[in-house]
Amino acid sequence: MKIDRRSFLSLGIGAGAGIALTPLPWKLADDSSIWTQMWPWTPVPARGEATYVNSACSLCPGSCGISVRKIDERAVKIEGMEGHPVNDGGVCPIGIAGLQLLYGQTRVKTPLKRVGKRGEGKWQKISWDEAISEVSSNLAELRKSGNPQSLACISGSGRYGTVSGLFQRFMTAFGSPNFMSVPSFVDGYSMALKQMHGIDSIPGFDFENSDFILSFGSGIIDGWGAPVRMFKANANMKGKIVQIEPRLSNTAAKADKWIPIKPGTEAALALGLAHVIIKKSLYNKDFISKHSFGFDDMTGTDGKKVKGFKSLVMEKYTPASVARITDTSAEMIEELAVSFAKASSPLAVCGRGKGTAQGSLDEYIAVHALNALLGRVNTKGGVWAVEQPNYISWPYPDMDKIAEKGFASARIDGAGTDEFPLAGQLAHRFVNAVADAGRKEIPVEALLIEGANPLHQFSDTKAVKKAFSKIKFIASFSSYMDDSAQFADIILPNHCYLERYEDIPAPAGLQKPVIGISRPVVAPKYNTLHSGDAIIRIAKALGDKIESSFSWDSYEACLQATFREAWSKLDSVGFLINQKYGAPGWDQFETESKLFEFISSADGAKTGRDKDEIVNIADIEGKGDKKYNLTLISYDSIRLASGSVGNTPFMIKAVADTILKENDIFVEINPKTAKDAGVKEGAKAVLTTPKGSANVRVHLFEGIVPGVIAMPRGLGHTGDDKYLSGKGVNVHDLIGPVEDPASGLDAAWGIRAKLAKA
Amino acid sequence: MKKEHKHVKSNKKYGMVIDLDKCTGCGACMVSCMAENNVPFKADESNKLDSITWMRVYKLTNDKPYPDTEICYLPRPCQHCEGQHEGHSPCVSVCPATATDYSMETGIVSQIYTRCFGCRYCMAACPYHARYFNWWDPVWPEGMEESLNPDVSVRMRGIVEKCSFCFHRYQRAMEKAHFEDRHELEENEYQTACTQACPSGAITFGDLNNESHAVYKLKKNPNAFRLLERLGTNPKIYYVSSREWVRLAGDNYRPDEKMTAKHKPAKHAPAKQH
Amino acid sequence: MSTQDDKAEAVSGEAVESCKTCKDDGSGGVVFLFFIIGLMISLVFGWVVFPKILYSGKKQPFDFNHVVHNEVVDDGCESCHFFRDDGTYAGVPKLAQCVDCHEEVQGETEDEAIFVRDYVSKNREVPWLIYSKQPDCVFFSHVAHVKTAGMDCVTCHGDIGESTSLKVYEKNIITGYSRDIWGKNMIGLKKNTYDRMKMDDCAECHVKEGVKQSSVQTKKGACFVCHK
Repeated sequence: MKIDRRSFLSLGIGAGAGIALTPLPWKLADDSSIWTQMWPWTPVPARGEATYVNSACSLCPGSCGISVRKIDERAVKIEGMEGHPVNDGGVCPIGIAGLQLLYGQTRVKTPLKRVGKRGEGKWQKISWDEAISEVSSNLAELRKSGNPQSLACISGSGRYGTVSGLFQRFMTAFGSPNFMSVPSFVDGYSMALKQMHGIDSIPGFDFENSDFILSFGSGIIDGWGAPVRMFKANANMKGKIVQIEPRLSNTAAKADKWIPIKPGTEAALALGLAHVIIKKSLYNKDFISKHSFGFDDMTGTDGKKVKGFKSLVMEKYTPASVARITDTSAEMIEELAVSFAKASSPLAVCGRGKGTAQGSLDEYIAVHALNALLGRVNTKGGVWAVEQPNYISWPYPDMDKIAEKGFASARIDGAGTDEFPLAGQLAHRFVNAVADAGRKEIPVEALLIEGANPLHQFSDTKAVKKAFSKIKFIASFSSYMDDSAQFADIILPNHCYLERYEDIPAPAGLQKPVIGISRPVVAPKYNTLHSGDAIIRIAKALGDKIESSFSWDSYEACLQATFREAWSKLDSVGFLINQKYGAPGWDQFETESKLFEFISSADGAKTGRDKDEIVNIADIEGKGDKKYNLTLISYDSIRLASGSVGNTPFMIKAVADTILKENDIFVEINPKTAKDAGVKEGAKAVLTTPKGSANVRVHLFEGIVPGVIAMPRGLGHTGDDKYLSGKGVNVHDLIGPVEDPASGLDAAWGIRAKLAKA
Repeated sequence: MKKEHKHVKSNKKYGMVIDLDKCTGCGACMVSCMAENNVPFKADESNKLDSITWMRVYKLTNDKPYPDTEICYLPRPCQHCEGQHEGHSPCVSVCPATATDYSMETGIVSQIYTRCFGCRYCMAACPYHARYFNWWDPVWPEGMEESLNPDVSVRMRGIVEKCSFCFHRYQRAMEKAHFEDRHELEENEYQTACTQACPSGAITFGDLNNESHAVYKLKKNPNAFRLLERLGTNPKIYYVSSREWVRLAGDNYRPDEKMTAKHKPAKHAPAKQH
Repeated sequence: MSTQDDKAEAVSGEAVESCKTCKDDGSGGVVFLFFIIGLMISLVFGWVVFPKILYSGKKQPFDFNHVVHNEVVDDGCESCHFFRDDGTYAGVPKLAQCVDCHEEVQGETEDEAIFVRDYVSKNREVPWLIYSKQPDCVFFSHVAHVKTAGMDCVTCHGDIGESTSLKVYEKNIITGYSRDIWGKNMIGLKKNTYDRMKMDDCAECHVKEGVKQSSVQTKKGACFVCHK
């Protein structure tokens, strides 16, 4: 028997034939096709029981109610909560994408202590006990040296709520007056209300009952106020919306009429409209004669004649002169004034973009006076002075001698001092006071940052960074590794907003007092601690009277004790609302005259006002400098989160390619401006302002006033994840604050700039 | 072949009416769609050609110089074309893998990811750019896969995906109906994620064949139009705009092109229904 | 399959033929022998060895007696394998359902002892291996089949309710799914409706019952009926 080549061949053929007669090839083909359809590395989400948990969103001042869909213990979708007084089932893109914050890459997972240089990103994981004692021992030093006022706190949590309340209480008991919230248009508007209505209140706008909304640059559908409420009000609007703004924003595009004006001249236009209304006698005579003060000229107690609102407006704000100031036409002003005055429920609103800048007091006064002229204050469909939430009734903190002395010292930012009596807080002045201080006289030695991202949110980030680098000890309570947390010495990470309880009072711009409640949707994922608990523990660790001011065992105990019998309703329903709350009415003025005051009856000198001027608005930086031939303004988009947290991956995905291309940000300019600057669509350019310069790309847009450059706000983050960090430019790098002479507020709305081909 | 199929009663035809006068371009529909449908994301999404957005909001302008410029936003999901005869949509008719299909029962154009082998013929055929190819394996950074929706399967590299009218929500609603011994859904029981999310109420979704559904009436609005109607794709997304230039843009007339009387928006009548 | 077989035979026939013509030294028998050896090896491999390689037997965390449980419940299968109020099917019971009775050890079996010791007392879910688990692309509505179509569990799942112990879970090493999907029988033959759970089996019944035969592409069931 010979075994040759053929035998092997035969063996192979036999084997082949045999295999074909077995299930092997057919089964393998089937299985491998299944395998290729389901790569093992493609995640398969686990199935389970679906439930919904109601909570509240705290990603912006809108405070919407949300309903989170869960599969077993996983949160899989955020939807709007039906029946909620703010958003009734509606939801905005930032809110929907919130789960990417909860599960995202930016979470700080455990307390961290800096080991490298500031901002270098080298951290050491520490325990909560170590973190609390690290903070308390650092702070104790300040009290030991008799300088408790050198502790400052920047809070971004809902104002009037328990978390910011606890931090504020801590500051008081510790002995420092230097507590501040992140800036908002509410700062300026409340100041105007204080002056004209005489009460501490917050502005509420009854959009739902108005039939003519005249917006002085407010981004009604760009994220102003409570965004979802505004979207709904806009969609259900039966009347007219007129948008006054230098750029064709989404609000302007959706409005019945867009009136492009020279940026920064809104107040003058408001008074121009007032002029026409007075001249044509279209104002509300009943309100003016019975409920207002300072409309007509008057004689002061010293016998001197004082000009009233009417005279001031009639003299200085003729349509022709206003048209010149604002780059509009006198006919337009006349026409607009008449149609506005003749509407049955007209309402003028202000606060640029999302309303995240303080703005100038006189602008609020001018717009509010326009409302008052038509009797649109404290009335249905008008603007109301809504009472500040005051459900916190904790006993005043115990203070020892050190605390009393420290707390009595003047605020670093000058707010509430003789210079700026009406101001509650002036963040930009705080920043400058620290940044400009000499080495030995730095007024702030320690800083607590809670719920805020000042290194991104505050204007002139260079100065903020300079100020922060002079502060010896910075503790961040951020849930995320944001720009400011990156620059801290210690991070005490808060639970994510979907993991914690927190009361959220007073949604911005709402005319009804609403208190929402954020409830834990999922259990805390990491080794984090509620900031309320953290500050209670720090207070306890400091001992003395500070400890006795924080008698609660935990934040949750504090929260329940604060709401007392209302707690169970708040927790189960998700919000508290005073349904009976209506327009406050015309008898609710607490000024000296008990009337609405166009001109303050109190000592006008206090407000630093030139009595012959109604509006006295600071020029923006760089004006008069011939180098800068253009004006840079920032603009807001609902697709760009610009609060303490930035865009999540889904949100960045929704940003148009005319705003962001790879890492390049686009600025919008009119084709005419582009021609003058010699740049084309998409061209790279260098944008320079007195505050700095940045590489940008150019997007030509017909919807912008020539000579103006518009840059979106919310990009240029240095912290966070690869989906956000390093993309675009932070417009706050280029725009610095401008002090409002009347109030000390940061009145900046832009800056002079130049654009050169790169 | 198709005619044999006539015995199947085309009882439902889901579609949308999107009111462009109400749409503010906020993008809630886009983000809601991404979250609902496990749409992947990558570090750079600024190249919109490879950025997967089942729902994409386009920004249109009237191209008039300042200050007469106008903007209109236009949300674009899959148009779920019915074609000239039932189910002859551009993509379904070219798919060599039977991966995309048209259901006579719901009028929804389905995409079965495990069936698709990525030839992208359908993408070439779709005049609306509603289909997207997965050039990369989707990656959810550690922990982020937690928020994936189990009702929608996760796609893999090398296949085409698109809007499904949130068909899983139909399935979910049907499960509840079955449980309660019902065989029909109420209008509000089956709504897409984008419809639900829209804070302006610009999107209305329902059965275009059902007289009691809101879309039935809304599509008859004299200002209603569909995208690229003259291609004969017979899409199920109706748009409403009171502005003529927007309606014109919907049919993409070139400036040098003469409009036929039939397509003049002023005389525009709602498309015929089967 | 038949065409493939024909081809294979034709090829082997040719080989034998060519041997005869080129040489006739008696090696033809050897060649044929080798052919048979090759054939036998691959038949044995394909029918006996291959299934053993393809499927790796996995044991459940511990054994479970359906009969014993069926005796003490009122509602049959649905007592434990129930529908939620939203119509979704809860599937294999969660620990919480078992704890009501099994807080403490009830009987004398070692399996129950394992259950109480390793899972109940540690509050850990039991990682059951599910014989009927389908790929993620499959959408299956239990409620549509059980409530609306009035089908019995047995039709698809067999007599599992009458089993006193859990069989070995045979995991397909390529796909990761259970052998029960393809069926015990390697060539996929089935005697009972519950012998196999492949797409064709679903489709077969859907065609027979005329369920949603609304596909434009296939003229049969539309893809979105069972896929997601």
